[in-house]
Amino acid sequence: MALTDKQIERYSRHIILKEIGVKGQKKLLNAKVLIIGAGGLGSPAALYLAAAGVGTIGIADADVVDLSNLQRQVIHTTANIGKAKVESAKEAMEAINPDVKVNVYQTFVDSTNIRELIREYDFILDGTDNFPAKFLVNDACVMEKKPFSHAGIIRFKGQLMTYVPGQGPCYRCVFKNPPPADAVPTCKQAGVVGAMGGVIGSLQAMEAIKYITGVGELLTGYLLTYDAIKQEFHKVKLPSNTHSCAVCGDNPTITELVDYAQPTCELKQKH
Amino acid sequence: MANNDIQADEELDITDKVCPNTFVKAKVVIEELDEGQILAIRMNDGEPVQNVPRSLKDDGHKILQINDNQDGTYTVYVEKVGD
Amino acid sequence: MKITVAGVNKEVKDGLTIGELIQQENVETPEYVTVSVNEEFVDGQDRNEKSLKDGDVVEFLYFMGGGSHGFNR
Repeated sequence: MALTDKQIERYSRHIILKEIGVKGQKKLLNAKVLIIGAGGLGSPAALYLAAAGVGTIGIADADVVDLSNLQRQVIHTTANIGKAKVESAKEAMEAINPDVKVNVYQTFVDSTNIRELIREYDFILDGTDNFPAKFLVNDACVMEKKPFSHAGIIRFKGQLMTYVPGQGPCYRCVFKNPPPADAVPTCKQAGVVGAMGGVIGSLQAMEAIKYITGVGELLTGYLLTYDAIKQEFHKVKLPSNTHSCAVCGDNPTITELVDYAQPTCELKQKH
Repeated sequence: MANNDIQADEELDITDKVCPNTFVKAKVVIEELDEGQILAIRMNDGEPVQNVPRSLKDDGHKILQINDNQDGTYTVYVEKVGD
Repeated sequence: MKITVAGVNKEVKDGLTIGELIQQENVETPEYVTVSVNEEFVDGQDRNEKSLKDGDVVEFLYFMGGGSHGFNR
């Protein structure tokens, strides 16, 4: 299908790029990306992917917009406090770009529904904030052979890595198991600079765009860390031996998804 | 033009476009061509004729000829390279 | 001897163990940090015994949450 004149104008800065061009833009328009979590990471990622013309964007989040979200979750507005985050995000994405079809999942994603959810997407973006969810996303993507971008942010630090089936370690290769509840601070307890979500979430969007268009090198086999205090990026080469991994290794011991218990403070803490 | 012995497969007029849409439009059309096909692009003197041929060359295409139409426009003949 | 820790070159005493380096570097939540030496993971139980060698490249990989909590709660 040929691009319309409006599309040529909208995506002109992509089309100009030798690496993207009309072909790459068409790939983006035909692509399906799922963003899990419409928060600090998911907000900028969703905005950039919608602006880039990713044809189908799924967004999953069970929560509603809270005043305390607005310091960093830039897809939501003050007027949308109390509204479902997925609806608020859909509104913003469609306002940016009517080319984009937004699928909303206002649901608690868990071991019973995640595999089915990710199955119809080409690339998954993990924008969740807790470790059980991050391991669930990882394991489901390994099982469904889906590429995904993992990311985390806390205080003045952020990091991300990309998993592509068969091309390098998964999140579990590196981190093995979720830490016990409260053993490691989450950004709710420790705080985070709002712009950190912008830095890391935008890098996740960049990984998705590069995966879809086939441009350049992804963060497969690497963990990219960012320290805003030192204003330094550090690209850590990850061990390439994945044979012993419990989920993506040669003899996986995890063959069914599990819902790990959530940190209790996350349930109690109320703003 | 009399000195034109190149047979173009496709013609494009971008005299109504401004930067960067001159190059964008040319690029959109050339991407639809097959390798080895020739596109004749009519463009204005000045910025378009200075930049568009260079940008097409940067993309790997071959500029065959640039004809001055003597009316403030030029016709650039470009051969598509790559697919 | 000289080693590289998180991309930074450091002069440390000969035979320093990973456990000692973790203390020296004030690594946060050391029991939950993943350690790699020369692109190989080093398990938690091996850290106190394993001595580093001149030229080793050490990385600490931390758990990091962040994002949205409206998921899988």
